[in-house]
Formats: sequence, structure tokens, C-alpha cells
Amino acid sequence: MKEMKKTALTLSVNNETYDMVSYPNRTLLEVLRDDLHLTGTKESCGEGVCGSCTVLVNGAPVRSCLTLAVAVQGKEITTIEGLSAGEKLHPVQEAFVNHHAIQCGFCSPGMILTAYALLAENPNPTEKEIRRAISGNVCRCTGYAKIVEAVMSLAEKGR
Amino acid sequence: MRLPPFQYLEPTNVEEALSMIGTHKETVKIMAGGTDLVNRMKLRLIEPAFVINIGKLRNMEGIDIGDTETVIGANTRLKEIAGAPLVNKRFRAIAEAAFQVASPTITNMATVGGNLLQNTRCMYYDQSGMVLNGLERCRKRGGTVCLAVKGGKRCFSVYQGDMAPALIAFDARCVLEKKGSTRTVSMIELFAGDGAAPFAFGADELLTKIIIPKPEGIYSSAYRKLRLRGSVDYPLASAAALVSVTDDKKVTTCRVVIGAAGAAPKVIDGVSCEANFEVIAQKAYELAEGVDNLQMPGAYRRKMVSVLARRATKAAIDGIKEGM
Amino acid sequence: MEKFSYIGKDVKRIDTASKATGEALFAADLALPRMLVGKILRSPHAHARIVAIDTAKAEKLPGVKAVVTAKDTCGDKWGVFKYTQDQQFLPTEKVRYVGEEVAAVAAVDEDTALEALSLIDVAYEVLPAVYTIEDALAPGAPQLHDVYPNNINVHVVIDVGDVEKGFTESYLVREDTFTAPEDSYFQGEPYAVAAQFDHAGNLEIWMPNAGPHLKAKPLSNVLKIPLNKVRVRKITIGGAFGGRSEISPADVICAFLAKKAQRPVKIVYTREENTVCTRQAHAMITKIKTGVDKEGRVVARDITCHMDGGAYSSTGPIATSVPFLCMEQAYRMENVRYNGYRILTNKPIRGMFRTHGRGFACGVDIQLDMLGEALGIDPLTMRLRNARQTGDTTPTKSYVASCGLTETIEKTGKMSRWEEKFGKLPPYHGIGIGCNSVQTGFPMGIRGGSQAFIKLNEDGGVTVITGIVDNGQGNDHMIVQIAAEELGLNPDDIQLITADTEVTPSDPGSYSMCETFIGGNAVRLAAQDVKKKLFRIVADEFGVGEEELSARNRKIFVTNDPQQSMSIAKAVRMALTRNESISGEGSYWPKVDWKREWVKNPYGQLSETFSFGTVICEVKIDPETGQVEVLEVTASQDVGYALSPKVIEGQFEGGVAMGGQGGMLTEYLQWHEGRVLTPTQLGYLVPLAIDMPKINNIIVETIDPNGPYGAKEAGMSVAMSAAQAYCGAISNALGVYFHEYPITPDKILKAIEEKKKREREG
Repeated sequence: MKEMKKTALTLSVNNETYDMVSYPNRTLLEVLRDDLHLTGTKESCGEGVCGSCTVLVNGAPVRSCLTLAVAVQGKEITTIEGLSAGEKLHPVQEAFVNHHAIQCGFCSPGMILTAYALLAENPNPTEKEIRRAISGNVCRCTGYAKIVEAVMSLAEKGR
Repeated sequence: MRLPPFQYLEPTNVEEALSMIGTHKETVKIMAGGTDLVNRMKLRLIEPAFVINIGKLRNMEGIDIGDTETVIGANTRLKEIAGAPLVNKRFRAIAEAAFQVASPTITNMATVGGNLLQNTRCMYYDQSGMVLNGLERCRKRGGTVCLAVKGGKRCFSVYQGDMAPALIAFDARCVLEKKGSTRTVSMIELFAGDGAAPFAFGADELLTKIIIPKPEGIYSSAYRKLRLRGSVDYPLASAAALVSVTDDKKVTTCRVVIGAAGAAPKVIDGVSCEANFEVIAQKAYELAEGVDNLQMPGAYRRKMVSVLARRATKAAIDGIKEGM
Repeated sequence: MEKFSYIGKDVKRIDTASKATGEALFAADLALPRMLVGKILRSPHAHARIVAIDTAKAEKLPGVKAVVTAKDTCGDKWGVFKYTQDQQFLPTEKVRYVGEEVAAVAAVDEDTALEALSLIDVAYEVLPAVYTIEDALAPGAPQLHDVYPNNINVHVVIDVGDVEKGFTESYLVREDTFTAPEDSYFQGEPYAVAAQFDHAGNLEIWMPNAGPHLKAKPLSNVLKIPLNKVRVRKITIGGAFGGRSEISPADVICAFLAKKAQRPVKIVYTREENTVCTRQAHAMITKIKTGVDKEGRVVARDITCHMDGGAYSSTGPIATSVPFLCMEQAYRMENVRYNGYRILTNKPIRGMFRTHGRGFACGVDIQLDMLGEALGIDPLTMRLRNARQTGDTTPTKSYVASCGLTETIEKTGKMSRWEEKFGKLPPYHGIGIGCNSVQTGFPMGIRGGSQAFIKLNEDGGVTVITGIVDNGQGNDHMIVQIAAEELGLNPDDIQLITADTEVTPSDPGSYSMCETFIGGNAVRLAAQDVKKKLFRIVADEFGVGEEELSARNRKIFVTNDPQQSMSIAKAVRMALTRNESISGEGSYWPKVDWKREWVKNPYGQLSETFSFGTVICEVKIDPETGQVEVLEVTASQDVGYALSPKVIEGQFEGGVAMGGQGGMLTEYLQWHEGRVLTPTQLGYLVPLAIDMPKINNIIVETIDPNGPYGAKEAGMSVAMSAAQAYCGAISNALGVYFHEYPITPDKILKAIEEKKKREREG
């Protein structure tokens, strides 16, 4: 349909404002990766199942592959690139690295953001709660064991 | 995966939304959370000219718990419903259903209205061109054959929404608004029971609220869902039960609703819980439909609907006993 | 002083921080200047003659910069082996599976590319197709390739001892058939390729791979440019699991598009394309006949396996052999016969997958359980009695230099409290065991060895240059650990240039578990070469013998008098001031029988060493729904030596998820004739965090005489043993032995019902 017009789009990502012109049928994932070159957010399934595309919108984890970019204007978007402060890793990232919770790394950005959001809401989750919270993040490499250990280590710190 | 082109509209209030829907009717698709709609657009199952985002309409959100009835806005996120203490207390099956939809991140985005009005599903329908190119068009796509059931005379796609069975168990009602008028229907009436056209309401109508009457007497409820994994997946079989009793433990209501058992949720009525669970299980089995068009064989899924109907009913009764 | 500084220690992996921040670049993340989007047009038919392809309309579409079809290629057929050259990357005559590549476009954006695909007209003459092994073998069946009569792609025959005599001498014989449909690799990262040519005709190409050198040669052949003009670049890779080692049509297509368009092109596969159009695992029908003596020791075994290979050979001869070889390594079997058939069907292409045939592996093991039951011997004891031992020679004549299988059986049995539990658990509650073995590489001709270079900087830092590739398992980290340990440097002092065919020397690649053994040894030798050279300088300077020196903490010092030391940086400078260039070189070629060939001569030393392991699994079954709750899994593997224990544990845990939880409970592809109905994450069910049981890891170390520091492998085998253990546990829980996998709830329910029926009637 050639009548679809590009419209102005302003996104706030990792505390930076981006003004652009975009077609409305673009997902947040496409805009982040292709236009803003924030490639930390990945596409592994395209249907909102695997969690690799997870970003935070106003602090809550969402599937950026199922989110229209135009629909999140005015909201605060956090991608994995927004978690670390310069060279210093965020404690969640640090825990993942220290506990060997990362192998190939493709699921890691989504997994880390989901864990981050869990701990922000529930600083002291049980193992069961952790497993449920990350149940929408598929990892093919680790069997999840060390990912759970990494998040548990942060839960204990919160105690 | 690329979305097809469309024009995007973002109404700022319900009136505006109704006006847009009234103008564009069938060429419109409503987007609330987006988790169902965006997926179907990616698969090119639908290619609407207009996408209307109602997800930001505040007065379609929220849970208002009253003494005789509770109103849930259609835009209320499933996560909110799952976590609301009073919903868990008074409408446990509804909270359980919301808790079990997909995965936690999806429940951040998905709305109860969206979950309710999801399309029926089938392994031969929910596919992209990569799988279907070269095959005949099936009935759900406007063709004349069923790809799932050889010689099938109708569409066997399955309604797999989690919220509907639980809400229908409570005899919930739906408020449908359109430009100039509003009507309220019993939720079960929304379902046409036809896989090729699952819903019976106008293209110019918008579901805005769900009304749940508070059951009489002492009651409890439960929702049970079967899937191969512990998260993410749609139900392969489901059942919700609401049981209420008088003070002297006489059953006054026993409403069991089965899901993932055909093109619409089905109510098992006329069954008293005083009879053994086997009667409910048997009725559920008879009502359920199961063909080989989802993850597990249809025969297995049908049996599971029966098992879950029994389990949900037992859980509801256990819930009453706990409370006494 | 502790023996090692880094080896054997859990040091933070060098690559995971950049993965945690999202900085690590995968192929789909690359953005090259003026890059175009590539898309592939695929066959909608399982078997059809290509009558004509008309690309005129597509070429005229504004924004389209290149269109390629078979006529842009030479039509050469490629194969992993000379005798399996059957695949053109863009077919000239016919298509052989739904999803096969037919044409491709490069355009300025994805929408234009997709539109261009829809404008390509392909006229097909649909041919009859075969979708099952049975149909493919039936007389008069449509033939996929003229060169493989009866659609038999590969036939491996192994015959050792006297099987028939063995059976007559056996106390008990049984024969069973085990079946499993395809599983899927389902790597986290969907396949993607980016390619560009420079002004001098050099190709730079990035794609997830299990061996860049294995990709470079076929590219060189197809593009008709010398190897030194093909640069397969280093890229972060999102999993391989046995796949991604061979050249892919997407690689070739992307290069052709880039050449034609004179611009970089990137092709990114969807999840569906990754499932259908790369590789899948083989469906297998495995018939196993085993004879045992009164003590349960296997006297003879005869295995016939038919594998559904899909439309082309791929790694056919290897894939047909490995399932058998793993079992002949794991268990003693003097008299054994194997007939492995790889059959072609009009389905997507099959390759080697980590579990290498759950039906095969589970079949051998569950049969031991069945035979044991008849003899009154429990499964664990059956394993002990048949276990491979150090010093053995396998039926196909591989000497086993180190073997800790018995130790893994005993330790796993103890930790899982097997004796307390087996036969004593409540109804619907079971425990099972599985054992396996995996080789560390195999004879790979000119590609069988690895070479490493080490460059030294005047400030004491080094760069290690090696073809070793990391698919996510931690191979880059392994290189740094070994180099740091040998050289006496810190991990931070080691930079890597790896898996880049412009610079790095040949290496076999990361599949078949050879990187640590072969690649790691080469790195170690290169580091020792550097050390020797530096020691010569320092020995000279201190007036001591070279053998009196050690290197540690960035210093070279007299071992018995550490005060006498010199920084490595100074030693390097010293060499340079003497006008001596200083660098290191090491190469390792495993001592294997290079004459061994999969089909023509399947005997001789297969690999220098083998790993061995055991998994025990405990389950509880819901008899009303057939759902399985996995309570606990204990995994043990003789890895030779654990270079990095936590990294190894990660492999165990991932193996349990893939081979056991997924492979036995939920993973299988569903089909409509030749079409995959479950190519997506909602259709093909891989395990989630909420599904996984508690996993206990037991690392067993036998210190292999030839592995680097004694290390062997740790990545593949646990997946196989986990599958076996899950199968055994479910079978034990129900008192019914399962022959068909995965064991989904409907099968469990059916087994329960049938058992009840038998009990009523019996």
C-alpha cells in the first residue's frame, strides 16, 4: 500500500532522545537495530516467544519484536546498552559474567534485562520465582542452571 | 519479519476510537497489547488498512471490585489481573488464568480484551508462506478445504484463549460499544463456534469492559491448563470451574467451562457436583473436540480436557472446604 | 607453589563481558557501508523440475541491485567428500525439498527485496516425491539423484568378530527397533551471512560457522578465486551444536550477490529458515539385536540403522557412522556388525547433531536395561559389566588411552543414591541411567591438524593466532588460559586473532569435539616454542641451564631461586636488541590412522582419545496426564582434565537440557509431507528455565596422556547420556520400555493404558 506515509517519530532510548522519520509498520526491534544501530537487542524468533528481543519500556520487560515503534513514543525505553555505566558493568551483568551464565551470548541481553526487571520488582526472589520470571527467555546453551545461580547471588545480596 | 503496510491511528479517547472504527469497519484491526495482532500481521494472516491503537486509553483499564459485580476494563494488562489480591481472593480462576497466559513478559503487554478476542488457531493456519506456499487455501483462509482434517467439512481451528473459560465460568458479561450505542452480552454469546469466523459481533463494535457478577453464597473457583512446557505455550486443553454452595453445603452452582476443545469455549451445564466428578469428566469429554491440528494428537487433548474439567472442579470444591 | 595459575581454575571467561553488554557482534548485527538486504526465493515443491526462471520483472524493480540464479554459477556440484558431490547451491535442473534455494535478490531494503522475490516467475514441473525412508526405498520410488540408486546415499558396513557365532553362544538374545523423528539444532542465533568484495576482488564474509577454513575452500572453489582471496572473518557465533560446519547455499548466494551488486550484502534468516533451510538432525529407525551371557556381558551385537538424510549428502558418511562409533567406544562388544544406511528423501537436509540419534543411543542403553531385567541384574550393574576400560581397543580398532567410564558410573550412582532408589521407588516414580562416549575429532585429511602462531610485543604482551573457532562454548577463553599458563603471563596480556582465514592457519573446526585436543595442543606447543626461545635468552643471561627456569606472573625466574628473575618484557626486548626476531609456532596433528575412511575403510585409530560419561535421571510421572516431572539429574563425564570446571559444567547442563529434557520430552519436528509444520519457537519446543530439574555435575579426570594438560572433550557426550537416562527413568517409572521418542505425554498415557489392559487380561 503505497499510501503508507512516513511519520515523525521521537523515541527516548537509554536516556537519549532520537528524532527520526519512520513508517508506522516498523517494530521497535527494527528501529532499535537498523536505525539506531543498537544491535544488543536480538531477533531469534520474531514471534514474541524467545525473549531475545526483550527491552524495558518504563521499566517493564516487553517484546520489542511485537511492539510498534510508534506506539512507544513518550515512554522510556531501556536496551541492554543502557544498563552498564560506561565501562562499568551493572551488577546483574557482573553476576552473569562471574557465574558463567553466558555461553554463546545470543539470549543474554534479553535474559539480563528480564533478570534486572525481576530484581527491581522483587529484590529477594526464590529460585522458583526466578525460573518463572525467565521462563519467557529461551537459552539453548546453558540449561539455565548458572543463569539461575547468577540471579540467586543477587537475591542474596538484596537480603 | 516485516509487517505489511498500514495506516496507524491513535485515538485519545473512547469516543474517538468508536468514531474511527465506525468509519473504517472491516478494514480496521484493533491493537491493545499487540501480542496477538502483530504476530498475525507478520504471518500475513491479516493485512488491515488501519491499525487503531487503543492500548493507551486509560478509561478502558482498571479493576473495579464492587459488592455485587466487578468491572475489568478490556485494556487491563493480564499481569495486573494475575497479581491483584482481591481478584485472587474472589475470582481465583480468573487470576489463575491470567497468571498462566504465555510467559510473564507477555502478560506485561497483553490485555484481557485482547486475550479474549484472539483468533482460533491451527497448525495449518498459523504459518507463513514458507510452509503454506504450494498448498490449497484452507477454509479459514476463505478456501474450500481443510488441511488438518482430510475431507473436513468445516474449520477445526481451536480457540486457545485462557481468560475466556475462567470468565465464562463466572458468567461474565461484555460491554460492546459502538458509535452511538452500547450493549451488554453474556460473554459466551460472543463466540460463534465457527473456526472460520469465531466471533459474533459487529466490525464497528469495541469491547470496552467485562462485568463479573459476584456469585451467591460460599464459592470458589479454579482454572487448569495443560501444556508441554511450564510457560510460553497456549493451552492444549483447559478447564475452569466455579462452584458455589449454601451454608449447609448444598451445591447451588457448578459451572465448568472447557477450553482448547473446539472453536469456542464450551459450558458444561446441567451437571450437579453432588454427582461424582466422573459425570463432569464424561460430559467434558463428550463436548470436547480434538483433531490432529495442534501440538499433541487430538485424541489425547480430548482426554485431557476431561481430566482438567475434573481437576478444576475438585480444586474449586477444595477451595470451598479450605474457606470453611 | 600451586601447580597452575589459570588452568583448572574458574577464571572469568574473556568473551562474556562484551556479550553481557550487547557489544559482541553477531553476523546479523553487522552494518557495512551501502549494505544491501539479501533475500532468497525458495522452492514451494518437494520435488520438481525447474522449467524456467524469469527474473526480468524483479531486476527492473527500483531498488533492486542484483538478482542471481543458477545461471550466475558454474553449476558445479559440491560435497563434503569427493564421492558425495551432489549439491549445487542454486540448482540448475530440479529442486529436491520444500525450502530449497532457487534464486536470490539484493535490494536497498527488506520490503523491496521481498517484493522482488514475488516478481520472480519460476515454472516448475512437479514430480512425485518421497517423504519416508520406507517410501524412498520402495521399488519404483522416485529417485532424487541419478548417482544414488534406490535413494541409498551412504551405506556403512562394519563387521568385527563373528556375530552369528556370538548369538548362538549367548545366554539371552533380544532384538528391538527404536525410532525417533527429526530433532532440530535450534541455535539461539538464526543463520545470517554478510559478504563484500574489495577493489582487488578479495571476498570478506561473515557467518556463524564451526570452522572458517571449512567454509573458505568451498567458497574458493565455487567463486573460482584462490584461497588467499577468501577471508572468512571472525564473528561472535550463537551456537552450532554440530551444525554450521559446511558451506551453505546462503554463503555462496550472498557472495554472488555482493559480487554482482558491487556492494556489501547481508542475508538474515528467519527462525523458520534456520529450522528448515540449514540442517536438521536425522530421523532414525534403529534395529538392535544383542546377545549377552549370564552375567549380562554383551557377547554379540548387530545393529541396522536407517537414517532419513533429506535431499542431499551433507556430512552423510560421518553422520551415518558416528552414532555407532559412540556406542562401540562406550561399551565392550567383541562381535559386532553395523549396517548404517543414509536414505535420501525430499525433505530438508540432515547433518550431525549433538545427540547423534536419540533413538540409536537410547536403544542400545534401554536394551541393556531390558536384558538386565530378564537376568535379574540392575541397569547400573549392566553398565559396569560392559563399560569400556583404559587400554582397550574398540571393535573398529581404536586404542583407548584413557577411560574413566567406570568411575563416572560409580560416582553418579553414589551421588544419585541409585542403590537406595532403584526398584524401591513408589509407583510412577523412576530412575534411569545412560552411558556414552565421544571421540575428539577424526581423520580429516589435510584439514586434520591445527597450527598456531604467537606474536610477541616488546612490552611482554602477546597475540595468539589460531584457526580455533568459538561457537559460544568458551574456546577463545581456552586459548587464553593455555597461552597464559604456558607463557607465565596474565590472561589480560593475551590478545587473540582467531578463526579468520586471511590470517589464521588451518584448523579442523569446532565440531566433533576436537578444538581442545587438537587446537589446544597446537596453542600449547606454540607457547612452549616461545618459552623455549625466551628461556634460552634468560638462561644465557643468568648462566643457568634452561631446564632450571620457570615462567610465572610475567617473570622468568630460576625455579629454585625465584629472586633471580627477569620480566618477560625484558626478555623479549633482549631478543630484539640481539637482532633476533622472536615468535612462536606450534602445530598438532593427532596420531590417528589417516587411512581410515568412513565407508571404504572404517577401521583404524579414529581419534587419539575419547571421553566417557554417565548420566542418571530421576522422574515422577502424572498418570492421568502423562506429564513428566524431572526431579534430579546427575551428570558425570571423564573429561581428561577440566581446564575450566565451570565452563565444563555449563556444557553438562546444556547437554542435559538439549539431549534429555528437550530430546526426550518435547523436541521433534512435525510434518505435512515434506513441509515442516513446527519450524518456530512455538512449534518446536525447547526447554525453558521453569522446566529444568536440579542438575548435579561430577567432573572426572583421568589425565589423558596426550591431551593438553590431560584434557579431552566435554561438550557433546552429556547430551547423549542424558537422553538415555531420561528414557531409562521414564521406562522404569512405568515398568514399560519405550521404543519411540520423544516420550511425549500421549505416548506415556497410551503405555499406561496398554499395561493396565495387559494386566487385566494376563
